[in-house]
Amino acid sequence: MIVLAVMLIAGIVSIMNSIPLSIRTTYGYSQNYLGLTPRGNNAMTPVIRGVVEAESPVPLGPVMVCRASDMEVKSIVGPWRFIVLGLEQDDMPVYLDRLGGARRIDGRWPAPGRPEAIVSEPVARNLGLKLGDVMLSPDRPDSYSAQEVRVVGIAQMEPWMAIVPVEYHRANHFPPIDVLVVMAKDRADQDRLDRWAFDRFQGMQARVFAFFRLERETDEMFVILYSILNVVIGMLVIVITLMMAMLMNIYQSQRLQEFGLLQALGYTREWLLGRVLAETALVVVGGWIAGIGVAFGLLNVVRAVLMEPRAFMLDPQDPVAYVYTVPVPIAIFVASALTVVLRFRRFDPVGVVERRLV
Amino acid sequence: MIEVCRASLVYSDHGRDVFACREIDLEVRDGEFLGILGPSGSGKSSLLYLMSALKQPTSGEVRYQGRSLQAMSETERARLRLREFGFVFQYPYLLGYLSALENVVVACPGENRRDEAAGLLDSLGLGAKSHRLPHELSGGEKQRVCIARALLGGRACVFADEPTANLDHANGVAVVETLIDHRGKGGLVVVTHDPTMLERADRTVRIMDGRVVEAP
Ligand SMILES: Nc1ncnc2c1ncn2[C@@H]1O[C@H](COP(=O)(O)OP(=O)(O)OP(=O)(O)O)[C@@H](O)[C@H]1O
Ligand SMILES: [Mg+2]
Repeated sequence: MIVLAVMLIAGIVSIMNSIPLSIRTTYGYSQNYLGLTPRGNNAMTPVIRGVVEAESPVPLGPVMVCRASDMEVKSIVGPWRFIVLGLEQDDMPVYLDRLGGARRIDGRWPAPGRPEAIVSEPVARNLGLKLGDVMLSPDRPDSYSAQEVRVVGIAQMEPWMAIVPVEYHRANHFPPIDVLVVMAKDRADQDRLDRWAFDRFQGMQARVFAFFRLERETDEMFVILYSILNVVIGMLVIVITLMMAMLMNIYQSQRLQEFGLLQALGYTREWLLGRVLAETALVVVGGWIAGIGVAFGLLNVVRAVLMEPRAFMLDPQDPVAYVYTVPVPIAIFVASALTVVLRFRRFDPVGVVERRLV
Repeated sequence: MIEVCRASLVYSDHGRDVFACREIDLEVRDGEFLGILGPSGSGKSSLLYLMSALKQPTSGEVRYQGRSLQAMSETERARLRLREFGFVFQYPYLLGYLSALENVVVACPGENRRDEAAGLLDSLGLGAKSHRLPHELSGGEKQRVCIARALLGGRACVFADEPTANLDHANGVAVVETLIDHRGKGGLVVVTHDPTMLERADRTVRIMDGRVVEAP
């Protein structure tokens, strides 16, 4: 029972937590730069660029003019949109380096103007793409391109990314807007630059894409989900605790005759109570540890079998998941202890031994 | 050794008082075998519970070696039952998950008395069966295990509440003989409604309706 409850709760929480974890991982590339797009007016791009270059509070690194559209990637909660960047040939390696660099590139870089793409390994895994496979196609409404865009390079790296040559993107993709990718010279300054830009371009014909916004939106989204989760888990704990307390009560009632006899033989009430509580504690703690073990094992299996192959994120060591299970043993122990103590208070050893055949 | 002075025990039966013992005066002397006779419902068990610190009198007093049992704490009384008294209940009640030997050893927790317990069981004719669980023993055998449990550690006084009630006459006599033979220097109080069990008693008292009606 306890094992099951702990397992269930740890499992639910871990899987729930895997959603924001996935968001952060999938869109984690945006930590590395600031994205700026004009709004409603393509002529704004140079203006925005001018403002950034003149007023940036931190020294700037590369600023790239590129194009962006999106495609569909898979997640445990259904399809998500993921950015396809159109980059200049020279910008591609710089961009990769900025994301932390690739350990190795299988295949090659996309050729200028060609319908070719380079993706990082998690994207390839998520979409089941190998070198030469079609990533974007006219037949796919959600991952559309006017021509079939094939994967020619897979970069062995953790961050998610998909890049096509900017010339191809300009000729075939919507929206026809030049996007700015602005990198702080020092990676540590990126967040400051992002926050500055968000305030600076407030109310202007510009849109700011920054990691801290993503974080904030994710958190806001999950606040509601987590409050629901808390209620569900709270109810689960109450139900399981009640059932366990009932079971413990039945179990201890069966042993009441034993306690009656021992008390008649001269064992003290305190000694017996201590023994019952110690036994209960042992059962509860043992059950909890076993539950944690089973949950951990199961989550690892789930991750290896279901999640990893699609590059879904799941953290079997998520401490939050295990913290959520702590109320289970405590509540069960308290409930069982209470029922036992109550029984002991009105308890006549002689009566129990005399009426043993009842 | 044990003095019962004007002790009464009143049960409450749905608010109505039931006198199980009425102002009983009785003494158990050092090392004697005292028999208590009486019909069913006369208060024999109740009297035994009073003497063995299992129940407290509603009024009056019970003294053990001059000390009032009521003046003692619950823990002290528990200690008395654990060290000084042995009790054989009417039904041979053993812990089902323990072997005969372990059921005997239970009487002295924290002490290593396995050898003594094995010796007791042996002298009670259960030497070969000391490893058995209670459900593998007959009623008479269980009763003898209970007797060994009551005797273990050497007791100042052993109480037996109708130890022969569930047994045929021959077995009943054998049980009483066993108690007499194994109590050492301690006192022995046996409750029964069968006078033939008390032929070897030093004294016998008869109680009726919660009163001693025939003192020796
Ligand atoms: N828990 C109780 N509540 C109310 N009355 C009780 C209780 N226990 C015993 N009595 C009453 O007290 C009286 C004496 O009971 P006790 O058990 O001492 O008799 P006894 O002589 O041992 O009888 P028996 O030979 O049948 O065992 C009886 O009338 C009984 O009904
Ligand atoms: Mg009786």
